[in-house]
Amino acid sequence: MNEHSTKKRPAFDHLFFWFMFAQGGVIAALLIPVHILVQGILGPLGIVPVVDRHYDTWISILGNPLVKLYILVLIAFPFFHFAHRLRYLLVDLGVPAAKSLPAQAVFYGGAVVISLITIWLLLTTAPLSL
Amino acid sequence: MSTETATREYRWVMPRGWWTRRANYFWYIVREFTSLPLAVWLLWFLVEVQRAQSGPKGYVPHSSTAFVIFSVICLGFALYHSITFLSLAGVILHFKVLDRPIPSRLVVLSQFGAWAAISAVIAFVLIYFAR
Repeated sequence: MNEHSTKKRPAFDHLFFWFMFAQGGVIAALLIPVHILVQGILGPLGIVPVVDRHYDTWISILGNPLVKLYILVLIAFPFFHFAHRLRYLLVDLGVPAAKSLPAQAVFYGGAVVISLITIWLLLTTAPLSL
Repeated sequence: MSTETATREYRWVMPRGWWTRRANYFWYIVREFTSLPLAVWLLWFLVEVQRAQSGPKGYVPHSSTAFVIFSVICLGFALYHSITFLSLAGVILHFKVLDRPIPSRLVVLSQFGAWAAISAVIAFVLIYFAR
């Protein structure tokens, strides 16, 4: 191969996906367990009052722009992380097709779709309030 | 004599069920699998956000026994992911103070401390603003 025919370019797509994967792992590890414990177990069992148990408190906190940003980070970053992990889980379990371009489009495209749905829900659910 | 030498590509194929042969292989796969229940739980969380569009009379938070049981299972997977992730910090992160390396055990401890502090703040916000 002619060495002059290849140009070195920054791999911006790698930069983006590895950044999302790494940050998604950190966010999933640090933030998700407490949400599951409080909103998934303690709240529904009535052990503690939780903000999402009543419409008034839930809509009020959802209107805060910082909370909207937090929820977007809580969902979007981990979904890119999960997309990568689940794709390679399939590879590890003997599904080489999971390495293919269509599989990448499905998994990472799914993360993009979930992120867009989250943005849309956060913008349409509660009016911004400070 | 033929000048072409036929080469055959050797492809290693992992045997089916390889991950059931050793406990550490199994737990590696379990760790990778944790993504699925956590993703489903986050989608459930997103549904809770969407339900707020129904207005004060139509809003019904997740309360079923099935949801609580599912959350308990997800919490197990989430804790497994977090604990294994934070435990690796001692291997990945290297710091020096006054030219002396900080012991890896201290690095891991600081990560667990940060996790506990962040969790306490989030729990406080979720409970305090419910009043």
